[in-house]
Amino acid sequence: MKTNLKSIFYLLIFFGAFACDTTDDAQPRVELEAILVADLAAPNDVIDRNTGEVEKVNPFQYFSLEQNAIVSETDDWDLAFKGTTIRTNSSKNVKAAIVSGIFEEINQVPTSATFATDSESTFAIPTGSGNGWYNYNSATFTVTPIPGRVILVKTTGGNYSKIEILSYYKGNPPADQIDPRATPSGHYTFRYVLQTDGSKNF
Amino acid sequence: MFRINLIKVVIPFCMVLFTIAVLASPQPKKVVDQNGQPVLHASIWVDGKLHLPIEEDGTVRSSETKGTVVKIVALGFETMQLSWEEWQKREKIVLQEKSGILDEVVVAATRTDRTVESLPLPVTVLNSEKIQQTGGLRLSDVLQEQTGLQIVSQHGTGLQMQGLDSDYILILLDGEPLIGRTAGTFDLNRLSISNIERIEILRGPSSAIYGSEAMAGVINIITKSSGRENQLDVGLRHRSFNTWNPTGNLNLGSKKWNTSLFYDYFETGGFDLRPETIGQTQNPYQAHTAQVKVSGNLSEKWQSSLFVRAYQENSTGEMQSSGNEILDMNNSRSDLNINPTLRFKPSQKFLISLRGMSSWFSTNSVTRFQSDQSFFDIQNFDQFYHRTEVQTDFQATPTHLITLGLGQLIETVDATRYEDKNRFDAGYFFLQHQWDPKPKVNLVTGLRGDFHSQYGERLSPKIAGQYKFSENFSWQASIGAGFKAPDFRQILLNFNNASSGYYVFGSNLAEEGIRRLENEGLIARVLIAPENLGELKAESSWAINSGLRWKIGSKILVQGNLFRNQITNLIETAPIAQLKSGQNAFSYFNIRSVVTQGLEMDFNYAWNNHLSFSIGYSFLDSRDLDVLERIASGELFQRNSQNQTVRVTRADYGGLFNRSRHSGNVKINYHHPKTGIDLALRGIYRGKFGFADLNGNLILDDKREYAPGWMSLNINLTKTFSNGIQLELGGTNLLNIETPAQPNNPGRMLFTGIQLPLMNFIKN
Repeated sequence: MKTNLKSIFYLLIFFGAFACDTTDDAQPRVELEAILVADLAAPNDVIDRNTGEVEKVNPFQYFSLEQNAIVSETDDWDLAFKGTTIRTNSSKNVKAAIVSGIFEEINQVPTSATFATDSESTFAIPTGSGNGWYNYNSATFTVTPIPGRVILVKTTGGNYSKIEILSYYKGNPPADQIDPRATPSGHYTFRYVLQTDGSKNF
Repeated sequence: MFRINLIKVVIPFCMVLFTIAVLASPQPKKVVDQNGQPVLHASIWVDGKLHLPIEEDGTVRSSETKGTVVKIVALGFETMQLSWEEWQKREKIVLQEKSGILDEVVVAATRTDRTVESLPLPVTVLNSEKIQQTGGLRLSDVLQEQTGLQIVSQHGTGLQMQGLDSDYILILLDGEPLIGRTAGTFDLNRLSISNIERIEILRGPSSAIYGSEAMAGVINIITKSSGRENQLDVGLRHRSFNTWNPTGNLNLGSKKWNTSLFYDYFETGGFDLRPETIGQTQNPYQAHTAQVKVSGNLSEKWQSSLFVRAYQENSTGEMQSSGNEILDMNNSRSDLNINPTLRFKPSQKFLISLRGMSSWFSTNSVTRFQSDQSFFDIQNFDQFYHRTEVQTDFQATPTHLITLGLGQLIETVDATRYEDKNRFDAGYFFLQHQWDPKPKVNLVTGLRGDFHSQYGERLSPKIAGQYKFSENFSWQASIGAGFKAPDFRQILLNFNNASSGYYVFGSNLAEEGIRRLENEGLIARVLIAPENLGELKAESSWAINSGLRWKIGSKILVQGNLFRNQITNLIETAPIAQLKSGQNAFSYFNIRSVVTQGLEMDFNYAWNNHLSFSIGYSFLDSRDLDVLERIASGELFQRNSQNQTVRVTRADYGGLFNRSRHSGNVKINYHHPKTGIDLALRGIYRGKFGFADLNGNLILDDKREYAPGWMSLNINLTKTFSNGIQLELGGTNLLNIETPAQPNNPGRMLFTGIQLPLMNFIKN
């Protein structure tokens, strides 16, 4: 499968790079780069809608935030996608929390954020419409990311990351152009910022 | 002042009965309306004494030889006063129709007969003429042309009043509640209008006399009964989409008894707004309505009546399952109402009515795979409702009318999605005091108590008052409580969607349902412990209404009403447990609070006897209080068209979905004297409204989420011949405007019809 990982947002703004005194950190603080992951295909199992039986089981797609790549289940993955479900790698102690806010404005891990790990039966990123990252609109039959929901993840490398899911449909179409029958679903487009210095600041 | 009158509608009949045989007089006169039709219900008073009968063709033969003042009074017409000399001279008395319909009798508002003018409440009455002018066949066709009412498609054709959905509007047929709702919506297409005498629209909560459901208001449909005359009418109407509607009405009258038989058949081919998908937007269906009404005077003091109505509807259609299989659907609905009434009038001061009402409503839907006709799904729903009620009206003095009602009801439901047969029991009382403390003031105070086996007891008060500044200007205000009890679905549903794997439990079954899923090992996490779910409470509201009625000269009538409904404890589903499959189990909760408020105005102008027009305007503001709170605390976000996340501001928020902020109508009525053709031209405007969430936050806050406003241009031409034959021709939505967000609008629809009063021919 083709991994379509591109980085798009280069917002290299230097804070204090020109204005800070020398008594501050020796290194100027660089605004972290947001990475865009487009159309990560993670279709759900094929279910016979008439009987409710699973016809074909699809695999989870394992993703490493550290490597910005799809990896195998045995590697150091952080998140696994299938359908609307997002698992976190509990065996590597990956933790996740959901917070509300504008992605750009979240410049550190809020103290109120409660991180959880997946257990056998629960998910750190809750499933179900309105609980975790998406709403299911029963009038238009579409799954849309809940605006303002940001997922915080403590990765396999112990680094903090903030993630915003932008679309569940192939090609990241505007929500009003989604045709739930025709537009392929289970295609994640999201952006994330990874703080590699181990701090809680983004 | 004897404005509150127990026996108001009885007067025209009594008049006929008590009149003395009159000698032929050399100067017969005719009492007619502006179209030359006889006004048979007019009464003629000479010097304050009731006088003179009117014959079948409108002729009055005078036996009186002298007098000073003659007054001609008729419901719906301006009272005419003539001097004796003038009266003697005239051959034809032409009565002027009242501007507006302020003297129509309304039963729904107080359960006693009162005129619109004397009621301190916002009421509209549509008489048979107004109903006919719409050219409609089903109740929704008529109601959608009224100011402040909207027809919305939501599990059927539902009504919206004061911004509240069909769930909160009580529908009465001859004063008795109609049952049978699908997900809260009462489908107005179940009601044929061909034998409706008048429709009373009462706005604002009326739980103080009707209890549950009457939160937004009440629609009371009064069926025809034609008194002592023998009548046989047949009619046939045809309209676009292969719609046929033959009707027959037989009325047999005698001095003591009156029997009406009515039958209506309706057949339509339905329509399809999206031919590219399998299945029609509206499936073809056939519906039969049969009605029997027998009423009679057992003695001077005892009156009885029996009303039976049966309805049967079948529809067929196709749909595509989400597994892309084609399915055949066969749905049927039926309805049976039996309503015996006994009225006892021991004296002028008392009226005691005993009413029984039993209704059965059932639906059956069978869905099969088209390929091999094997069953995909079978759903049944059977509801039974019985009510016994006794009402006593006591006219203590001419200015005090006290009403006491006591009732008991049983409701059972048996359905595929419910376990067992379920039964509710309830008892209630209502007390009402109508009082005219001063000639210019009248008050109506009411209190109702409901005692229900499921949701406990509830008291609903209401007080309404009117002050008449003058004969032409009055002001009304009322404050009242409304409520809607949790319905069967919210209490008893036990539903599992096999294809997507979620569960919905009614509040009574939630605890048991969760335990069962737990035992089956399906639950990942319980979000709300079932023992903490609590009782589901009734949805409740407080509302104020305030309005005015203003007659400017004899030609102009202005009516307006301001309202505000504050509703709490609205019931919605919310997840109670997460399943291992990632799906949820849901139950019902009292979670939402909303406000709807606005203004409704009607302006009528009668240019002359032949031409009149009216303008109606409605402003509606609605909001979800929880959403406002989340906006205020900055917790609600939206994706703009560039897919960026921003905070929702108060200005972005458009209130509840499917509500038009502005709507209105313009109506012109013209009677062409030479040809006798009546023209009714109407423009019905519905302003833009939110139809669905598109930016992910489930609220209305984005320009793309609105459907545009539109105008339906409707016309109706009728011609009534002197032998009573009536022809009509017309159309609705003449501009053929498509409204994808409003799937109940099929586009342009043309119609034609004929009514034959066969008895006229038999007699001749």
